[in-house]
This record gives sequence, structure tokens and C-alpha cells, in this order.
Amino acid sequence: MANPLGPLLHHSEPIDPDLWESLAAKIDHVLGLSPGVMVLFLGAFIVLFPLVVMVMVWRKRRG
Amino acid sequence: MSGDSSGLDGAEPGRSQKKGIYYGWYVIAALFFATFVAIGARQGFGVFVKTWEQDWGVTTATISVAAATGWIVNGISQPFVGRLTDIYGGRRVVVLSLLVMSIATMGISLVTNIYGLIALFGFVISFASGGISPATTGVIVARWFEKKRGVAMAVLISGGSVGGMIVVPFLSYVLIEFGWQTAWLMIGGLALAFGVPLLIIVVRSNPGDMGLEIDGEVSDKSPDARIVVRPVGPKFVEKWRDSLNSKPIWQLSIAYFVCGITTASIAVHFVRWAVSEDITTGTAALAFGVLSGINACGVLAIGLLSDRWQRKNLLGAVYLVRAVAFISLFVLPGPIAIWAFAVIGGMSWLATVPLTASLTADVYGVRNLGTLFGFANMAHQLGGAAAVMLFGWAFTAWGSYDVPFAVGAATLIAAGFVSFSIREKQHSVRYVQVPEGGAVDITEPVSDES
Repeated sequence: MANPLGPLLHHSEPIDPDLWESLAAKIDHVLGLSPGVMVLFLGAFIVLFPLVVMVMVWRKRRG
Repeated sequence: MSGDSSGLDGAEPGRSQKKGIYYGWYVIAALFFATFVAIGARQGFGVFVKTWEQDWGVTTATISVAAATGWIVNGISQPFVGRLTDIYGGRRVVVLSLLVMSIATMGISLVTNIYGLIALFGFVISFASGGISPATTGVIVARWFEKKRGVAMAVLISGGSVGGMIVVPFLSYVLIEFGWQTAWLMIGGLALAFGVPLLIIVVRSNPGDMGLEIDGEVSDKSPDARIVVRPVGPKFVEKWRDSLNSKPIWQLSIAYFVCGITTASIAVHFVRWAVSEDITTGTAALAFGVLSGINACGVLAIGLLSDRWQRKNLLGAVYLVRAVAFISLFVLPGPIAIWAFAVIGGMSWLATVPLTASLTADVYGVRNLGTLFGFANMAHQLGGAAAVMLFGWAFTAWGSYDVPFAVGAATLIAAGFVSFSIREKQHSVRYVQVPEGGAVDITEPVSDES
């Protein structure tokens, strides 16, 4: 039976480990940033997105 | 927030007007983030497989049990969470679901063997993530939007794609820098610290809770009046089970079942097929990137078009386009087929979701939408799980994917024509004037304050 790991980005199935290894290598090749910098960069997006939305809603409610 | 019954924009009571950004778009933004985190974390599971193999001394097949269990559990959960949404309101369900999912995700950092992984990822996280799926989030969106329902659904659904593009790399780099336990702890912690408060603060199940009407019209009723009359679909029935006696739900579900078959099978067998065609994994990864990019653009474009054109025609066209992508896989030489599939298939990959959710809401209204779309989602997931196994057996038996791809193309063509056959102009609230006191939901919508 086929390995049920390995999707393209569709719905919520886990990504294929081999496909991800190749993708990560290409990302590293193109951006050339260290893992620590990437963690900061991507983490900042994850943190800032909800904060910005909450601030916008707060300002809207204040009118 | 129901106390803010004059409308958020300070509009004068008794006048319908719009000013500033409609609050429904903030609701979309919050649900987008929840979808983004929930789907991103589930997709990120694949990043850890090789690490767990080394740490726990297990095979990929063993770890696959957790993923496969999660797939099935996620599918089965959808009608349940959809029903809970219809009864208790979407806000409560999405908040509770993200809360449970966040804590369980952090709990994975404590797991020391495959059994713990199956319990937490396969059951708890997968069930809870069903509560942050279109069966729940789509219901909230459908209650806030009618005229722009298609594009609103499309923006929401694209959160899944963005989650894959941001959360999966995030988890991967945290894994490299700090280890896998920290990765799960961080993503669960971020969801708990930012996602849950975001949903609590921003999301409301109904625009009526904000003194607004659907699409941002300010209520013409007195400022303190709860909006109690909401147009529902022409095929609305009081009991959701009676909806199963009408054709559109079957037409939509059968087509969506095919969607599950074709997307899940490709998702799992894509790399295997590429290798069988002597295509490198690197090329497959590039094609995957192209597909993802086109997919994100395609779903938004379809959403915009679906608010102007008949949704069933777009849905039918999407299935036929995907059929062409499938045909290219067994007609064209592999190195050409992979790019043809990436481009053509990318246009249709996620576009079925906002179209199917919007059409279901248009036809049946929003009162039982969670339950009805939950069943369609379950059909999608279970169809996908069955197809993954059948495609695997077919490849083992014949050493080629040509026959399964041909069957996939045939089912897609059938799904296309089934979609075209939906009589949208007779059944959709967009085209049929629902008579006052007739097929309308006069039950007060579930309020977050009740």
C-alpha cells in the first residue's frame, strides 16, 4: 500500500518528507539565510498577523 | 458586542449604509489566521517524519498510521462539528477547537513513542482541526456574506495555502535550530497565545451580534432590535435530514467526493509517479511550488468570478480543467506532463472548496449549513482515503499510474457534468426571491451572547 504521507498543499494532510527536503534545499539555495534568521522572520509573521488584526479591530470599535 | 447595536461605523439607526471596512472582513482575517495555523501545523507533520524515525527507531510506515488515522478522524469529525456549529454558533466551536488543538499540539513535545503520536495527532488534533474547517468557518462566513460570499470563502480557504507556505518552513527551521520538541511547543504556544485571543476578540457568529445585517447593511430596525429574520435558501427545510430528499445536496456531495478522490490521490502519489517517470524529486519540488503559487491565485480569481457568474458553471469548469490535468499525466511524456499538471491542475486545486460551500449556503441557507457541508467534507476526506489505497494497489498491480489517472479523469468529467446539471437559477437565493414568511428562517440565529 502506498505511503499515506506526502501531499501537495491541499486541505490538511501532512507534507511529503522527501518533497519537503527538496523544497527546503531550494529555499536555502535561493535565500541563503541561516535557520535562526528564518525562524525569526517567519515567527514574526505568525505573531504580527493576529496583533495587527486585533489593533485594527480595536481602532474600529473605538471609532 | 451586541450592545454596539448602532453598528460599528456609527451609522444612524434606520438608514442602510456602508462606511469603512465591513466588519465581516475582520472576521475573515481572524478565521484566516486560525485556518493558517491549523492547516499549517497539520501539514508540518511531514517535516518531522525522518527525525522521529531516528529518535524512536520506527519506520515511515509506522508513523504513517498516525497520519492516516488523522485523515479519517478529521473526515468523520466534520458532520459533528458542523452540527455543533448549527446548534451553538460558529464562534464557540472555532474557539474551543483551536484551544484544544493548541494544547494538544504543545503536548506532542512530550510524546516519546508512536502510540502517543497516534493518540494526540491521529485523534485529538485531527478531530479538533475539523472544528477549524470549512464546515465551521464556512458557516460563519456565509452568515456574514451573501453578495460577496464567493470571494470571502476564497480568501478564507487561501489561508490553508498560506499556512503551508509559512508554518511548514517555520517548523522545519525550528526543528533544525532547536529540536522537534521545541517546534511543536512553539507552534502550539503561538496558536494558544495569539490565535485563541484573536478568535475570542474578533469573531462573532452573526452580524446581528454587532448590530449589522449581512453584507454590511446597517439594520433598518430600531437600534436595540435583534435581527431575527434572515433569508435562507429556496430549498431550506427545518430539519437538515429533509435536505437529503432534494437533488442539489447530492449533486454537490457527489462532485465533492470526486474532488477528494483526485486531490488526495495526487497528493500522496505525486512523488511516486514522478520517480516512476525518471523525474527527480527536485523537479517535483519545483513543480509543486509552481502549483502552489497558481493555486493561491486561482482560488482568489474563482472567488471573484463566482460572485458575478453562476457558481455551478464555474464549479463544473473547475472539474473539467482538473480532468484535463489528469489526462495530461498519462498522455504526455513525464517531463512535460509534470509541468502541464502543475499549471493546469494548480488552477483547479482548491477552487472547488469556496464554490461548493457557497453553493450549499445559497441553496439551503445557513441554518443547517454546518451539518450539510460537514457531510460533504466527510465524503471528500473518506473518498480521498479510499482513493489513496486504490491508486497504491493499482500501481503495485500494473507498475504504472496510467489506469488510475484515466479513472480519475473519467470521474472528474462526470463531476463536471453533475455540477453543470445543478439548477442554480431555480434553487439559489441569488436568483430566487424567497417569499417573506415562506421559506425563511424566522428562528433567531444562535447568538454568542446567549
